Amino acid sequence: MNVLPLVLYAIAGVAYAVHFARRQPQAGRTATTLLLFAVLVHTFVIGMQTMEVRHVPFANPSRAISTFVWLLTLSYLYLELTTDERAMGVFILPIVIGLQTIPAIYPGVENADPVLDSPWFWVHVSSLLFAYASFALASVLGLTYVLQFKEIKKKHLGYFFARLPSLQILDLMNSRAVTVGWVFLTVGVIVGIIWTGQARVTSPDDPNLQAMALNDPKIFVALLTWAVYSFALFARRTMGWSGKRAAWLSPVGFAIVLLNFLLINYFVTTSHTFN
Amino acid sequence: MHLFLLGVSHRTAPVDLRERLDFSSRDLGAAVEALSTRPSAAEAVVLSTCNRSEIYVASSDLPRAHEELIAFLSEYHQLSRADFQPHLFSYDDAAAARHLFKVAAGLDSLVVGEPQILGQVKDAFQAAADRRCTGPLLSKLFPWAFGVGKRVRTETAVGEGAVSVSFAAVSLAKKIFGRLEGRHVLLLGAGEISTLTAQHLRGCGVAEIVIASRTTANAEALAAEVSGRAIPWEDMTAALGRADIVITATGSARPIITRSDVESVTRRRRNSPLFIIDIAVPRDVDPSVSEIEQVFLYNVDDLQGIVRENLSRRGAEIQHAEAIVEEELSRFTTWQRSRATIPTVVALRERLHEIRRTELQRLDGKLAGLPPEARARVDEVTRLIVEKFLLEPTEQLKALPDAETQMAYTEAVNRLFRLRDDSASDAATDNPQPTPGDRRGK
Repeated sequence: MNVLPLVLYAIAGVAYAVHFARRQPQAGRTATTLLLFAVLVHTFVIGMQTMEVRHVPFANPSRAISTFVWLLTLSYLYLELTTDERAMGVFILPIVIGLQTIPAIYPGVENADPVLDSPWFWVHVSSLLFAYASFALASVLGLTYVLQFKEIKKKHLGYFFARLPSLQILDLMNSRAVTVGWVFLTVGVIVGIIWTGQARVTSPDDPNLQAMALNDPKIFVALLTWAVYSFALFARRTMGWSGKRAAWLSPVGFAIVLLNFLLINYFVTTSHTFN
Repeated sequence: MHLFLLGVSHRTAPVDLRERLDFSSRDLGAAVEALSTRPSAAEAVVLSTCNRSEIYVASSDLPRAHEELIAFLSEYHQLSRADFQPHLFSYDDAAAARHLFKVAAGLDSLVVGEPQILGQVKDAFQAAADRRCTGPLLSKLFPWAFGVGKRVRTETAVGEGAVSVSFAAVSLAKKIFGRLEGRHVLLLGAGEISTLTAQHLRGCGVAEIVIASRTTANAEALAAEVSGRAIPWEDMTAALGRADIVITATGSARPIITRSDVESVTRRRRNSPLFIIDIAVPRDVDPSVSEIEQVFLYNVDDLQGIVRENLSRRGAEIQHAEAIVEEELSRFTTWQRSRATIPTVVALRERLHEIRRTELQRLDGKLAGLPPEARARVDEVTRLIVEKFLLEPTEQLKALPDAETQMAYTEAVNRLFRLRDDSASDAATDNPQPTPGDRRGK
């Protein structure tokens, strides 16, 4: 079921690339329309899965990725429609397409562990997925900032200069995306802690809950992510970091997010593997 | 009906002659009107800018139009022919249309791709249309040219990138700061380019322009010119702390802004970006200032380098733009040719319907016994036969690939059906003209 959105995202991706290369307004509008259609179909797919398991499908890593991709695309479209800047699409779509490939190949089975049957759990997961989507956007904004910064600083106004928005806009959007992401990450982590405490009382024998500790890789890396983005915000507010250095922190943070989301989720962690 | 163009441009005439042949300073509409009273100019449009004065006419007699236009220029501007005749250029039919398409696309401009010319072409056409000096040919040609200009601008990069130092500086400022509203500009020293840049920035809505000069009188004069505020030279460092954009153009032999000057205000600036445009030669700003991370330092050579690069990038796009011009030209000439067959088609239709009417009249007596409905049906059937017969040859004539074949076929039809011999293209102008949107559908 996740194959159809993948194909549609790929088509939209091609349209964004054409728009970026040729800078034709018509190609840009086509790209946006295609992406809107793709996300609509994806909404339908997620809706079907929600009906099937009676909650938003993200207790299984593959399905969580699909939901993450959906949130990322929605956030990107929000950014695009509010700023009328389409240049970032060509950077976002590869992430969207790359990640959507995983649920398209391994659909995964949504598990129904009764431990997960708590509103806290759903707040926990949806907050974190939304935080990660914001960080993905922030990382693309940070990278494009660096590209634009280099061309202007080195006085070589080439390919990106004409295509990317101004440094000021990129910096502002990056800062907003990091702030929104940080708020949701914080909420997600706090809710996770509260829920673990409650769940341990109701199901004391669950191996997952026993593994919830700082030495678990997934939890450790999540806190590391929180530390990186907290520093990014702190450096901006009090150390006067803006521009290039702040811009670099976003892709670094998102690399850690991806590490956690993909490698650790599938292979390393002992907590968070409910079946 | 032929298209004819006579004019001077920056390619053929020096500026003083172009000034003397200029129409734009006087009433353009009156000039067109005066021109259209000439018998050989059935339609006329006068395009006059600082780089060109061009007259487009529709005429059935090209040599006579040529002669009359020269006489008109001489009389209207009170110049002797010998003064301007060697500098004139002229084109007819497709070549004239090609020239107009190139002009509208900015390909014939001094600075390739400059955007003003398209508006000037539109104004020229409007002035003529308001005076009812345009007819079927020119009111098809000019809107077509606007379309070509628009296509070239959206489909090629021929109009992209700043091509003057001051605009290059402004476009850089926009890429650094986004919107320039609310930004603070510090202007040090006076000069043509720096003043122009400050004026462009003012046009973009900057919050204030502060001018510091060693002589107060200079600062105040400049402040009036760019609607800024003069401050004493000693306050320059404090102003540097507030500024987002600094333009320097002093005659100082040594740098007036050093790295330590900028570093001393960095904290106050909270690391916000600083764009310094150093137009002075020798330079006013120590080059090592650019090592500070949030400082973007451009000197006049850097800006000129950008201008050169943009110009060569535009140049590289010319071929692409010319391909569009040729494509549109071939569509236009096809349209024009299809109009040349109209008199023949009309005459042929007339002839066949005439035969039909004569035959029906001849049979009138025999048909008299029929009831009215049956008579009406006979009339209808014969009319349909004539129409069906005409359909195919009409389409074929219009679709012929080149003018020569078309002429041969038209001639053949004229002879075979004994149509009027004088079915010259003149009659074409009497036919209703298709709307400009037609060409897209073909």
